[in-house]
Amino acid sequence: MANHSTTSSHSRFQQHHFVDAEQQFDAAKMGMWVFLVTEILMFGGLFAAYIVYRLWYPELFVLASEELNTLWGGVNTLVLIGSSLTVAMAIKSAQLNQKRNIAINLGITLALAAIFMVIKYFEYTHKFHLGIFPGEFYTFEGIDHPKANVFFSLYYLMTGLHGIHVTIGMGLMIWLLVRSTKGHFGEEYYTPIEMTGLYWHLVDIIWIFLFPLFYLID
Amino acid sequence: MATAEANPKKIQVQRYEPESDPDKHYLNEETGLWTWLTTVDHKKIGLMYLASITFFFFVGGIMALLVRTELWTPAKTFIEANTYNQLFTLHGAIMIFLFLVPSVPAALGNFFLPLQLGAKDVAFPRLNLLSYYIYVAGAVISIVSIVSGGIDTGWTFYTPYSSTTGGAVTIMTFGVFVIGFSSILTGVNFITTIHKMRAPGLTWDKLSLFSWSLYATSIIQILATPVLAITLALVGMERILGIGIFDPAMGGDPVLYQHFFWFYSHPAVYIMIVPGFGIVSEVITTFSKKHIFGYWAIALSSLAIAFIGFLVWGHHMFVSGQASLATMVFSFLTFLVGIPTGIKMFNWTATLYKGSIKLASPLLYIFGFFFLFLVGGLTGIVLGSIALDVHLHDTYYVVAHFHFVMVGGMVMAFLAGLHYWWPKMIGRMYNETMAKIACGIIFIGFNVTFLPQFVMGSQGMPRRYFNYIEQFQSFHQISTIGSYILGFGFVMIFYYLVKSIFTGEKASPNPWGSRALEWQVNSRPPLHNFHHTPVIVNGPYDYHKPMDEFQLGLAENHNAHSDVNGAEVSVSNEEETSAE
Amino acid sequence: MSGHHISTDKTLLGVAGALLILTIATVGVHYLHLPNPWSIIVAMIVAIMKGSLVAVFFMNLYWDTKFNSMLLLAAFLFFGLLVGLTLLDTLFRPEVIPSF
Repeated sequence: MANHSTTSSHSRFQQHHFVDAEQQFDAAKMGMWVFLVTEILMFGGLFAAYIVYRLWYPELFVLASEELNTLWGGVNTLVLIGSSLTVAMAIKSAQLNQKRNIAINLGITLALAAIFMVIKYFEYTHKFHLGIFPGEFYTFEGIDHPKANVFFSLYYLMTGLHGIHVTIGMGLMIWLLVRSTKGHFGEEYYTPIEMTGLYWHLVDIIWIFLFPLFYLID
Repeated sequence: MATAEANPKKIQVQRYEPESDPDKHYLNEETGLWTWLTTVDHKKIGLMYLASITFFFFVGGIMALLVRTELWTPAKTFIEANTYNQLFTLHGAIMIFLFLVPSVPAALGNFFLPLQLGAKDVAFPRLNLLSYYIYVAGAVISIVSIVSGGIDTGWTFYTPYSSTTGGAVTIMTFGVFVIGFSSILTGVNFITTIHKMRAPGLTWDKLSLFSWSLYATSIIQILATPVLAITLALVGMERILGIGIFDPAMGGDPVLYQHFFWFYSHPAVYIMIVPGFGIVSEVITTFSKKHIFGYWAIALSSLAIAFIGFLVWGHHMFVSGQASLATMVFSFLTFLVGIPTGIKMFNWTATLYKGSIKLASPLLYIFGFFFLFLVGGLTGIVLGSIALDVHLHDTYYVVAHFHFVMVGGMVMAFLAGLHYWWPKMIGRMYNETMAKIACGIIFIGFNVTFLPQFVMGSQGMPRRYFNYIEQFQSFHQISTIGSYILGFGFVMIFYYLVKSIFTGEKASPNPWGSRALEWQVNSRPPLHNFHHTPVIVNGPYDYHKPMDEFQLGLAENHNAHSDVNGAEVSVSNEEETSAE
Repeated sequence: MSGHHISTDKTLLGVAGALLILTIATVGVHYLHLPNPWSIIVAMIVAIMKGSLVAVFFMNLYWDTKFNSMLLLAAFLFFGLLVGLTLLDTLFRPEVIPSF
């Protein structure tokens, strides 16, 4: 058992089964990318349903999309792009060992994510108020199409799943924020920030596609 | 073994011979229940998976025996029709999601993948433990659904029946949803492990075929399982919120459910069988003492199966009302799967040719695999032809077909792997005579059970029926008797394997004389697999080279891993043996 | 092992600026009410451009090992298979949804 972890340059976050921190970082990054593939395919099921129904009922999508507020959808897009930028800045700060900036950037990201969710909350409650509920609870009569509920079922499922991912992301940001205030991250070790960043960018990319598919139909 | 003076990356290696009866191994270096529950050791996690899948195999098996017993007479024999529906549903769901999918990758793969790569563990050991607990959580949720009403939808959960029927379908789909994440995380872990954790010198062309098959399996797991997860979530939403995506009354399309479901569940068939192919390659070459024939053909055909498996799901839906264009395309693509599978079969046969064959029990199970899987595969081609499928769809012919593939193929390969690696895992030998007898019993019992089902299926006996017309009674009775023989065979294996843990004679490190890396460590491997960093200069099937070339390791703890792949390896002090 | 690229502020802000402009552009095009197939085509092209900017520069794919880019493309390829083969059915049915 003598020759397991004998290398002197071990950071305190390096696990015993890796040869060095470089291998650990590469493995983590690749694992994260493979995980992102599974995320894409999970959303892919819903996107596929969207494509099928949009090709069946194109006129429904044009009519129903008018109930969605393009302005707030656009604002949310910009909010998420901004949060992607600050996550990238947080990683850069870690790489440059600017420990204070890591926390600041993570904090801004968290705040932007919260703004996104608040806007989403108001969009949802506005629709609930009108009687636009998913599926069989749908009671809105303002759209002249017998299958209008299909559009909103898809809308709630896709933005809902996306919202769940944003919420998970917020949890991760809080975790990173706590760890960064303890001084865990720096140029030596910033794997969790980089991995969370990749996840967060993917959530952003999915919204980039959801926005035109729901809010910009004509 | 050229010694290149000019090579700047020269590394010192020496020979490490495995000890035959180690004092310290992975089972006694840490002890106690708590260390088992919190272990991140891939070997212990593999054993925990093995225990769990064995348990669920017997639960599912008892359900199968109850179903078969009920079918002894054309009308009710001893259970109610509704109970019967629940039993066959649970038999299918438990066998597929709790036994077949995790069996080889999560149990044997977990144990042997890092050993075959010369790694200390998988890339993410804690994630590996998490996968196991997610699997257990999913299993517990499934059991909750069984006691709180059960399900009678069949394991496929087809809408709109599954979104309207009573019972605990929501809980069951949630259980399968959770188990899906276990499968996804195992896939992520294995892909990263194969890419990043290989020992120095272990290039892609020296990767064992079992690792190749796990690689192909993991690709399917990460690409297909998320779609199942979202599909089952949609069924749950359908039941809770009436979301209507699959409900024709609300403008939804039930056939779309089948597309999504089979986008996972057809590739899932390959999640189950491809690791079995990997075991076949390992066992065949070990017991014929010969280099595998067509290494790249076998390795790449696994990937080809993984890919083509995604193109054929519509052959489950020929009579569902899908467009005839789709039906024709899917039928054509289905025939393509026969090509890589055929490549494998021919290469395995060619490996046996002129080998020095030792007919030990693992190889015997593989021979059983050959016959049964061939029948299962060829009847699959029959079912892939549109005109025949319209006649045979949802009959016992289909039931017999997928049992030949799943039990005759996959379970036989799993048993072969279990017998092959048992000495390494447990450090004890089982009773070889009993193993051979059990293999014979299973082979006979299996054929007696399922061959009559081909006949009655082609005569029109529909699957999943509680009652049947009297003309089929003799077939059903033969089949039921066969299932008892089959069940006895499995109990027998369980008996002698468990007995060997306590009274079996100690196994030597390499009882079969294999050249593969997992056999170059102690039997009962050490907690961290290797006391040295292994250096690989030969492929795992190079039986024409002497054994000591397969026992090389870094002479001192050199801080280098897979990035020395290009370096020339020189063996210093070849006479000097292990100085551990 | 190029996993440690350090992005400059200039790159990051430049990409964010481009994303901002593209977002405004796509909303602007929406109000032009282009004839039928074109509005979705333009919207999707802009979305793909934005997604690629995020993937290539924010997610560092440009400096990263090519294998990670391949993983991302593979994910979209298999999503394409799911959609493509499903459409082979749903677009070619004699009746969209058979009446029950």
